[in-house]
Amino acid sequence: MTSRSFWVMLALIGPLVGVSFINAVRSYAEASGRGGTAAGLSDALFPLDGIVAPAFSAYEIAASFLLPFVAIRAVAGDRVSGALKLELQQGMPPISMIGAKALVLGAGWLLAGVPIALAGILWISYGGSLYAPEVGSLVVGHLLNAGLVIALAAAAAALSEHPSTAAILVLAFTVGTWVLSFVAAFQGGIWEQIASYTPGEMLQAFRRGLVRLDLMLAVLVLMAAALVLAAVWMRLGVPVQRRAIESMAIIAIAAVLGFGASFARPSWDVSENERNSFPKAQAALLSNITAPSKIEAHLAPEDPRRFDLEQQTLSKLRRTMPNVRVEYISGTSIGLFEQTSAHYGEIWYDLAGKRAVGNTTTTDGVLDAIYELAGIAPPQVGEAGHRGHPLAAEPTGAMPLFYIIWPLAVLGIALFFHRRRLT
Amino acid sequence: MGARSSGEAIVRVDGLSKTYGRVHALEDVGFSIRAGEILGLIGPNGAGKTTLFECVAGVEPADQGHAYFGQVPMTERHRSSKLFYVPDGIAPWPDQPVRWVLEFSLGFFGGRRALVEQIIADLDLNPLMPVPIRALSKGQRKRTLLALGLLAPQPILLIDEPFEGLDLRQSRDAAAALRKHVTPDRTFFLSIHQIADAAKVCDRFVLLSGGRIVAEGTFDTLTALAEQRAGRRLPSDFEEVFLALT
Repeated sequence: MTSRSFWVMLALIGPLVGVSFINAVRSYAEASGRGGTAAGLSDALFPLDGIVAPAFSAYEIAASFLLPFVAIRAVAGDRVSGALKLELQQGMPPISMIGAKALVLGAGWLLAGVPIALAGILWISYGGSLYAPEVGSLVVGHLLNAGLVIALAAAAAALSEHPSTAAILVLAFTVGTWVLSFVAAFQGGIWEQIASYTPGEMLQAFRRGLVRLDLMLAVLVLMAAALVLAAVWMRLGVPVQRRAIESMAIIAIAAVLGFGASFARPSWDVSENERNSFPKAQAALLSNITAPSKIEAHLAPEDPRRFDLEQQTLSKLRRTMPNVRVEYISGTSIGLFEQTSAHYGEIWYDLAGKRAVGNTTTTDGVLDAIYELAGIAPPQVGEAGHRGHPLAAEPTGAMPLFYIIWPLAVLGIALFFHRRRLT
Repeated sequence: MGARSSGEAIVRVDGLSKTYGRVHALEDVGFSIRAGEILGLIGPNGAGKTTLFECVAGVEPADQGHAYFGQVPMTERHRSSKLFYVPDGIAPWPDQPVRWVLEFSLGFFGGRRALVEQIIADLDLNPLMPVPIRALSKGQRKRTLLALGLLAPQPILLIDEPFEGLDLRQSRDAAAALRKHVTPDRTFFLSIHQIADAAKVCDRFVLLSGGRIVAEGTFDTLTALAEQRAGRRLPSDFEEVFLALT
């Protein structure tokens, strides 16, 4: 409650959520028919894509550019002021001290969640709908992201002599993950797999209403490793060499655990329209195909067909078929100069030794090939039963609430605590 | 030696060495702290006093050597239960007022609550209670740190430069407070670079120069040693004794 950086973050989070929410409501209204939208488009509109995910994006910005500084101040402040030298003499294990600080920061982050709750209340007051599991998925995703940021900031603050060095380290990590995602988009392969565990890509899954155990475990492992690393470097009385060896051991253990976590298959589709799953009849049939199968898609990372294939079909297939392995093969990143290559654009199927080759990247095309290899008849699938929730509403009251009332309220509370402390 | 001291060494430091790169901050340092005394670590600026305190307190790792409680090597557990070190030049919890800092230290370290009022009065902290640490002057901050140390529950208190930043009157009051609170169960080890201050408050002295211990003992012991080395009688002045030994 004494950290100015915390109050600044709290005050800024309101306008950030406000900008995202107000723009999202206006865009949703336009897509819902205001100003003449193509017939049928509005039926496909869901608040998860149009309102919830965009409004939550404010927290991604805050977690990247505001929260690290609050966390660094909380940890490095004690080192700079000399309080750490006193605190360490209490005999409390450093991991408990750093854990307590992380919990306090987590509680502060929950407090920063009030504006998004207000946005939800406003949306419902406009007549909008919210699907609780989807909102829950985003809350979990952003809490994990914040936890990771806090842990990494704590580690950086403990490792470096000065808070500004810690800030540079954390920003370098953030920018590094962006570079990784950028490289993954071009190169694919192993880069793509590694990039899928960066905070940005992790949030992408939660934004689609997909809760993946492997992602959650990987983030928790990274979080724990960073906190233990912070605790190791807080022990000023331990020789640097010993701390360095312990750090290497922690990193090695975290790498092994993180690698192990990547094999965790369970995931839960909590989206209202079950966008991450095949229709139930298809899913039931596909989950019964237990023989080892492999799909090789000869498509470059930047080829739009590959994006559609992955999003619409293969990501769902991985969740459904228990023994499927997917590989992408390409010699270039954009595929433009591979079009004349003999096999470019082909999808090779191998199911228990039976092979087939196809060119179609649609869901029906892929599934038909699999059914044919498995020797089973495709199920009868009806029309999709999920209708959207279009709403052409104005973001009434949002501007004064997020741009004026919230910052003033935060300022007032901060001043109240400041005065109470000094009297 | 003060009448409070039993003469029994409760802490023994043996062969302590510390280097920073090529600089030898401490070389084979050894001395003992006796129960119930005020022991002064005397040395010019850069002698290695703070490094020695931090190594004994476990805040800085020593390259070689050990500290012992009696005959037992000092562990982390020993340190947290027996020693409390008050560093010089720190401004802990800068946004918090003095009242909060004292309350927090009582709760966090499990301090001597019964002494709070007395220590606040001894160090004249009452007017400073609502003032944030960052707004205190150097001397005011030093008095607050002294209070933190005196409230700490550990029986051995290490204070780095307890009179730094204090004016003449405040130094005298702080020295009186320290003498008032030293008991057979409460031992003080003070690092002081002002010889005159040290002479006023300490029972025994450890003289540190260039990272080495040059002498250890009471004023009389050190005077005898200095006269022996100088080969002549010296005036009864601690500064002369110090100069002759360093």
